[in-house]
Amino acid sequence: MLQKERPSATAGDPAKPILELRNVNKTFGSVAALHDFRASVALGEFVTVVGPSGCGKSTLFNIVAGLEEPDTGGILRFESRSVHASDLLGRVSFMPQRDLLFSWRTVIDNAILALEVEGVPRKKARAEALGLLPEFGLSGFADHYPHQLSGGMRQRVALMRTFLFKRELMLLDEPFGALDALTRAMMQRWLLDVWQKNRRTILFITHDVDEAIFLGDRVLVMTARPGGVKLEQRVDLPRPRSPDIVTSPAFIEIKRALLAAIEEESMKSFAAANFREYAQ
Amino acid sequence: MKRRTIATRTIVPSREVQRGIIGGLMLLGGWEAATRLLELPTYVLPPVSGIVQAIVERRAALAAAAGYTGGEALAGYLIGCTIGIGVAVLLALFPWPRRGFVSVATAINSVPVVGYAPLLLLWFGTGIESKIAAVAFAVSFVVFISTLAGLDRVDRRAVDLMRSFGAGKLAILWRLRLPTALPLIAAGMRVSTVRSIIIAIVVEMLGAYGGLGWVIYQAVMQIDFVQVWAAIFVASAISLVFFNLIGLAEWKLVFWR
Ligand SMILES: Nc1ncnc2c1ncn2[C@@H]1O[C@H](COP(=O)(O)OP(=O)(O)OP(=O)(O)O)[C@@H](O)[C@H]1O
Ligand SMILES: [Mg+2]
Repeated sequence: MLQKERPSATAGDPAKPILELRNVNKTFGSVAALHDFRASVALGEFVTVVGPSGCGKSTLFNIVAGLEEPDTGGILRFESRSVHASDLLGRVSFMPQRDLLFSWRTVIDNAILALEVEGVPRKKARAEALGLLPEFGLSGFADHYPHQLSGGMRQRVALMRTFLFKRELMLLDEPFGALDALTRAMMQRWLLDVWQKNRRTILFITHDVDEAIFLGDRVLVMTARPGGVKLEQRVDLPRPRSPDIVTSPAFIEIKRALLAAIEEESMKSFAAANFREYAQ
Repeated sequence: MKRRTIATRTIVPSREVQRGIIGGLMLLGGWEAATRLLELPTYVLPPVSGIVQAIVERRAALAAAAGYTGGEALAGYLIGCTIGIGVAVLLALFPWPRRGFVSVATAINSVPVVGYAPLLLLWFGTGIESKIAAVAFAVSFVVFISTLAGLDRVDRRAVDLMRSFGAGKLAILWRLRLPTALPLIAAGMRVSTVRSIIIAIVVEMLGAYGGLGWVIYQAVMQIDFVQVWAAIFVASAISLVFFNLIGLAEWKLVFWR
């Protein structure tokens, strides 16, 4: 298995941040996507990110994955070193918003894509991935092609591909966004399970406040575009978390605080959209 | 429609193929009936039965000519595909000369084959080399354009995914862009099959030592129209076989569509 034993049980050690962002800005032409974004993620921590649509969440991930360089002047630190975004290429495990499975590759060959790029011999990579199939609920599907899978299975293949690219920091961009509520709840529990077994640091984008609280050690609420951090909410719910935790008073109290912040930001972006329409 | 099962893909003669065969038979039947009922002279249109009879009678000579032309077309086709795909891949890796290159290639290719065929005969002689060159030239252009379009079709987000794994240009080309381009490359290669036979024949008619085009030219000189038609039938047949062989390979290779 993916060996990464960490002694501490829950929230990562804040003294040891793996990722730090300060004053990070990103503009696309005249569009400011991120403004003065600041956050710090501790080693082993599970941080969820919520925010109105179009507020710059995927942009943030593109920067942390090394795909996009932020505007100059911001500070980006990874494993306690100041870095350019491009230095992070190949050092962060990134799962984009869409599953982006390769239709000409089988389940197993999609899963080992990153390993192949790293130069692991195909046979060895396949053997490793085969052992993981049951854990990802894909036993017996090794030789299927993506078009033969359900949405939930495709998502799990994409997750498996991300997990097999063994990097300390994982970025998951709305991995369950396209799933129905039932499958989604199942996948959430399953993800916590996998995470509990192989501790990694996870940054997780979602639109779903319940999901953000249920999964995270900490929730970052982003402002409307240009995205910044509106609110940082610690989630001190015990782990492992059972599904009915969503009805506990502590959960509901956190949810109330988050919803208030999100509501405010959603109104802002809605008003901005309306304003633009009137202006035209 | 193509049909396939999950594990192995079997070939079922589809309704389209059945319709094609029925349509072809009806055409030939109508042709036969028209020539007989209207008593058309053979120089206008010989009856199908006469053409088939001629093919059977002269099968040895026609087969030799077909082999000659087919060989030229195939050689030119393979060279053309290699050049077309190769140049497109190079331009995908080093894109700066791309615009100029595409415009020049398009300009040259807007001249029909007959236009530059005399030059090719002059440069490469009356033998098979000039035909191979003409075919290679035309095929390489079609395959080049379709490969380029295929390589461009790649999803930027998929490229980003590969980059996030630390993949370089070559890995992205091999593992992502070429597979993405494969359907279009294959389509270009399929279309080029018929073109390559046509071009080989046309250049043969302008000067050759053998082949179906040469047979047609000789037959026209001798006012032997049945022979002209016999050669045309054979040419159609090898075009059809070539086209379908590549189509079959495409169907096997691009299985995920
Ligand atoms: N490459 C780009 N070029 C120009 N504008 C861009 C680019 N990428 C993102 N943007 C803009 O930046 C803003 C933020 O986009 P982003 O994709 O980060 O939003 P998001 O928070 O992920 O939205 P969603 O929740 O809908 O996925 C949007 O207004 C978008 O139009
Ligand atoms: Mg997004």
